[in-house]
Amino acid sequence: MSLIRLAWVYFRIGAMNELQYRVNFFVQVFQSFLALGTGLVGLGLVFDHTHELGGWSRPELLAVMGVHILMGGLIRTTIQPNMERLMGDVQEGTLDYALTKPADSQVLVSVREVRIWQTVDLVMGLIVLLIALAQIQGIVGIGQALGFAVALLLGGLMIYCFWLMITTGAFWIIRMEHVLELFQGVYQAGRWPVGIYPGWLRTGLTFLVPVAFAVTVPAEAVTSRLTPETLLTAVALTAFLLTLARRVWRTGLRHYSGASA
Amino acid sequence: MTSLIDLYLGTLRISIIEQFQYRVANYFYMIGMIAEPVIYLVVWSTVARNQGGSVGGYTPGEFAAYYIVWTLVRNMNIVLTPYAWEFRIQRGRLSGELMRPVHPIHFDLAFFTGWKFVAIVLWLPIAAILTLAFQPTLNPTLEGVLGFAVALWGGFLVRFMLLWALGMLTFWTTRVSAIFELYFTAELLLSGRLAPLSLMPDWVQQLAGLLPFKWAFQYPIETLIGQLSTQEILFGLAMQAFWTLFGIALVSVTWRAAVRRFSAVGN
Amino acid sequence: MSSTTSVIRIAGLRKSYVVPEREAGLKAAIRSLFRRKTREVKAVDDISFEVQAGEVVGFLGPNGAGKTTTLKMLSGLLYPTSGEVSVLGHVPSKREKSFLRQITLVMGNRNQLTWDLPAIDSFDLNRAIYRIPPDDYRRTRDEFIELLELKELMRKPVRNLSLGERMKMEIVGALLHQPKVLFLDEPTIGLDVTMQRRLRHFIAEYNRRTGATVLLTSHYMADVVALCKRVIVIHHGRILYDGDLSGLAGQFAAYKTIEVTLEDTSVDLQTYGEVIGKDAGKVTLRVPKAETSRVTARLLTDYADAVTDLTIEDPPIEDVIERVFAQAAPQEKVA
Repeated sequence: MSLIRLAWVYFRIGAMNELQYRVNFFVQVFQSFLALGTGLVGLGLVFDHTHELGGWSRPELLAVMGVHILMGGLIRTTIQPNMERLMGDVQEGTLDYALTKPADSQVLVSVREVRIWQTVDLVMGLIVLLIALAQIQGIVGIGQALGFAVALLLGGLMIYCFWLMITTGAFWIIRMEHVLELFQGVYQAGRWPVGIYPGWLRTGLTFLVPVAFAVTVPAEAVTSRLTPETLLTAVALTAFLLTLARRVWRTGLRHYSGASA
Repeated sequence: MTSLIDLYLGTLRISIIEQFQYRVANYFYMIGMIAEPVIYLVVWSTVARNQGGSVGGYTPGEFAAYYIVWTLVRNMNIVLTPYAWEFRIQRGRLSGELMRPVHPIHFDLAFFTGWKFVAIVLWLPIAAILTLAFQPTLNPTLEGVLGFAVALWGGFLVRFMLLWALGMLTFWTTRVSAIFELYFTAELLLSGRLAPLSLMPDWVQQLAGLLPFKWAFQYPIETLIGQLSTQEILFGLAMQAFWTLFGIALVSVTWRAAVRRFSAVGN
Repeated sequence: MSSTTSVIRIAGLRKSYVVPEREAGLKAAIRSLFRRKTREVKAVDDISFEVQAGEVVGFLGPNGAGKTTTLKMLSGLLYPTSGEVSVLGHVPSKREKSFLRQITLVMGNRNQLTWDLPAIDSFDLNRAIYRIPPDDYRRTRDEFIELLELKELMRKPVRNLSLGERMKMEIVGALLHQPKVLFLDEPTIGLDVTMQRRLRHFIAEYNRRTGATVLLTSHYMADVVALCKRVIVIHHGRILYDGDLSGLAGQFAAYKTIEVTLEDTSVDLQTYGEVIGKDAGKVTLRVPKAETSRVTARLLTDYADAVTDLTIEDPPIEDVIERVFAQAAPQEKVA
């Protein structure tokens, strides 16, 4: 499949690029540890005063944190660098190069950048998750693990679609950098299960910015909370968003190329 | 002295006009900043409800008040990032700055002060929306409001001086990010930004009392949400004055050393 | 030439943009909130031409003439407002993969090579994207490296190369897949004279060896003079001239320049023709073409002893072009 081939080719070159800068690795590790430390302090502080939050126990909340870090690492490794580059290309006129290559333009702009050192967070999130699971009484079966993997994949795809649609907005409104800052802020909300937020906020975090599906739902999978309805909704929503994102991309491209609407 | 005042007024004016022109960018930035306190607010309100209505001396309504005022204080706390020096040295801007017969801190101070005026104005609608959404309980006293008006700027000055001095480290090493990030993390935990200090273990609260962070952040918030006695308000202002003077002293010492180093190494 | 063998065919091509028009001032800004005044800008206004395989065609025109817009429509980056475009039998805006594999676009000043890695890694990337068979890739790559003398530079990260070296690398990267059609948009911009010459030579060599068709836009006359037999002059979106470079002067600048070197530098030659230059005993006269022999004869007769040197030249091509561009624009429509 040419999507995978293309992704691999760009991954290789991206990795080569970044591996030159070993310093960045240590900087990243340090920052990740600081962030983890802060998160643990926050969690510890909350549990100095209570025994559960929104029906989630302490190790379960640790699991949510693990998924949050993992997904954050995934976003910063692949989704964010590509979208930032896309924004830059639209502003500098270098998008033309991507459009004259014999590859699907959406695929190309989605896989060509990778930030290897952010995988530190992927690993760290996974470790935190595993530690959390060890603390939870109960065995994580194959079914749950599978559910987790699927939920994670779907959540990641939804975040990708969200980012792509927002970045495609750059075709119409050139200055989109601030949206990145907004996302960082909103994503922080995913550190806690979205159930604790007031209704209107919860809806926003589910359907506007799919943080719930990116973090809470996979966490539900490993803590035996995932209902088939939620999973099915995730599948349907992902399919819908992928189609919509493609539509938006093509429309954006047509606008960029000056096709009459 | 009058020329200095002229300088301040001039830079202030330019800064205000400029930042007002960038109001869209400023709004995006400010809105992005809201996520953090809203999350804390929701978490702690949930805990409070769990524990029968209040925790650490705050009810959900009081948490709402704390974190809404938090957004303004946070904005006032945004000062020259210590990372700016790396940028200034690399881009060769520094040589130009050193040629001027005025200490560069005056430009920075004037610029940021102007920005803060705009930030306060832009913040008001955001505060209104947050108030509608989260229903804070706010009972300020007169001394509290007056104290707040002063403490808000006091907090700005404290943080401004300390971070300006911290930035000087850039003249000695390029690997400053580790030190800066450690500073920011300590600040996050010990200033009342993550959560009101009353929620923290006792030893943390004692430590926080010795450090400048809480005087720049939690103290201004507390003056407005009406929990402090007149004595406490005045004590806090004195602490702000102390840390500001400390910061100024630190700035003069480190700047002189930095310039010497810069002239030796050169760019 | 029959249209079935042309590599590039354009008929009645038009590209217009609707651009908001606003006057300065606060009142106008407020008014514009309620009533948008727009203006139609015709970037390309009804052009037609055909290019055969192996031709090297130069597009000349000042900034904003429509050259880059035309090039973008030919490479599929822009949809035309109306008219037909066909390149290698494809409609470019459809951006079919089989089409894209046969063309290449190079824009001067805009890099696509990965900045922090040696060029050879970016070349490898292109090999994968264009699906170049490994043997062909190696052969072509080594051939180009040899031609442009890039051997020692291959391992250096692109950011460490000089502007000229970088441009050479860009061109190599762009040609690895042996495209049949090259779209070059200001490829030599910002380069020093030697580098410009090197690149031109390389492009000419590529054209000679592979029979590829080259469309080149430039505002350096030297590029066009060196590479293109055929020139298309575009101004205000319209074609002003399409034909041999040598014919350009004939159509737009029917004059010649006479350079006379006299012993006596105080002589006034205004009666013979337009004096366009006076420099250390050498006077340059501009004379209508038809008058050339008559004026020359007169000069030689009148100053028989004083004239030490006399040359007759076609107008410099830059002057011709200047005259072409000096033509006024057709009226723009205000909507």
